[in-house]
This record gives sequence, structure tokens and C-alpha cells, in this order.
Amino acid sequence: MTIAVGDTLPDATFVRMGPDGPEAIQLGDIVRGKKVVLFGLPGAFTPNCDAAHVPSFIRTKPQFEAKGVDAIVCVSVNDAHIMRLWGVNSGATEAGILMLGDADSSFTKAIGMEFSNPKVGFYDRSKRYSMLVEDGVVTILNEEPATGQCEISAGGTLLDQM
Amino acid sequence: MTLTIGDSLPDATLCYWGENGPATVQLSEKLGGRKVVLFALPGAFTGPCSTSHLPSFMRTAEAFKAKGVEEIICLSVNDPFVLGAWAEQTGATAAGITLLGDADGSFTKAIGMDFTAPPIGLIGRSNRYATLVEDGKITAVSIDEPGVCDISTGERFLDAI
Repeated sequence: MTIAVGDTLPDATFVRMGPDGPEAIQLGDIVRGKKVVLFGLPGAFTPNCDAAHVPSFIRTKPQFEAKGVDAIVCVSVNDAHIMRLWGVNSGATEAGILMLGDADSSFTKAIGMEFSNPKVGFYDRSKRYSMLVEDGVVTILNEEPATGQCEISAGGTLLDQM
Repeated sequence: MTLTIGDSLPDATLCYWGENGPATVQLSEKLGGRKVVLFALPGAFTGPCSTSHLPSFMRTAEAFKAKGVEEIICLSVNDPFVLGAWAEQTGATAAGITLLGDADGSFTKAIGMDFTAPPIGLIGRSNRYATLVEDGKITAVSIDEPGVCDISTGERFLDAI
């Protein structure tokens, strides 16, 4: 079942690269009592994610912060090593965006956002979406109709809706 | 199963980063009638894989070719986009290594080389091994213990064949 406005996000264990190597981080700890922008995308180093989706949140981060957003989180079905390097290469980490890996796709599946496209080597990856999450509850949700597009799930769209 | 000398490798559809983006190739096309080194590792951009294992075959690629090896394939459970970025960062392609992805892990599972380590976000990944494959048949194999990068490195495997 796909997540909808008004739903509470399921908790999830993500991986990220810490000072001593890969470490787990709970989504619940990030969203509890906070206003969080969370966006998902098909994969690190893919053209639309790299050239459009992530930059759209890097550009708008100060404006989100001005609207009271505490954190911006990028979720992709990748491991911590890949998310770390992508975060550095894309400038997302420097911009303060949390780059988290849903390595086993369990969060992505739990919110009904998974898809597969064997032709490009994608299995149980994340559709492209953005959401505003307030104290764990989804208050705005934008799912891109096709994963190859990056329009309604881009940072500017969500910013205009807030 | 595991990897045993004399066994034939199963066919698999593998992905890679081609000139025009993501592409696929059949493993049987790579192996048929040829002498190929295939080595595998847990993942692109992971510590020992990027810093030890892949570089060890980049260093020894010419020496393998002098022994009649026609192609050196590095296999990991990754997608083609990640492999493209990894090739660019490491210079592997220029050094004569072919990076192929077993994106759904089906080949790795079929040969019994898969492992999963949820705390570090590695799910259905490949153990570290090196094989010499002649016309699809394994003629030499070195499988490292988990977390170790030793007998499956380029230098050690070169000595073994």
C-alpha cells in the first residue's frame, strides 16, 4: 500500500557512513518532533537523480530552513559506501542534506514506493517522490508519475506548497 | 553449490556502463572459447575492494595477458550507474578491467557466493574470490574468507595459475 497524506511513516533503519564506518540510523529519531523534508529516488549516480533531483534540494535548502524545516533527507536503495561518495561528489553532504541508504529496500517497500527495471539493473529501487513529514506524519506528498521525470518531486515544487 | 575446478559457470545476464549508458551482456558470450579471469568482491566504493582488490588486478593486468588471459572481469552486486562512477574514479576501465554488475545477485546466489551483512547495508552481496575460466570451465579458483583480501588478489592469483 502506498503511503498517503495523513499517514504516519513506518520506522526504518537506514545506513550511512559514520566516522568508524557504516552505521545504522533510525528514521524515528530523525522525524520525531521535527519538521523534515524526505525525498526518495532510484539511485546514486543516475542521471536525473544526480543532475536534477538532488541539486533541486541543495538550491532550496535555505528556503526550507526559513520555513522551519529541521532536516532534509535523501533516501535511496544503496549501501552506505555509495551514499557517502555520492553525497560528497554531488555536494549534498556539504549542503547539509542527510544521505541515507535503505540498503534492503524495507522502508521503500513499506511505503509502497518500490519498483524494478532489470534493463538498467534496478531491483526494488525507490520511485521518485518528495514529502514533508511533521512529527512523523506525512503532510505533503509528491510522487513523480514516471521515475525518469523530476518535476513535481523537485525541491521547488515542495517549497511552493508549504 | 560453490566454485569448484572443473565446473562450468552458469550463464547470467550482467549489466555494465556502456558508451550510451546502462547495458547488459550474457556471461556466456564473455566466456565461450576464451580464457578469462573473473574476480568478485562485495561492492563498489567499499574499503578493501576499492583500495586493495581492484587495484591488485589493475597492477597485474598486463602479466595476466602475458599468460594468455583475454579479459579480466570484476564482478559485484551493483547497478550500472554505480559501476560507471566507480570505473571513472578508479581508472579500472583504462587499466584493462571490465566491470560487470550482477544487479539482482542471481548469479552470485547461483554459485553460492552470496552473503548478507545488514549492519553495514550489504544485502545479497558477493564474497571475494578469483577464478580462471577457460571456455566456461573453472580451471583455477581462490576464495577468500569473509573480510579478508588475500589469496584472491591479483598478485596471489597470478602466482596460483
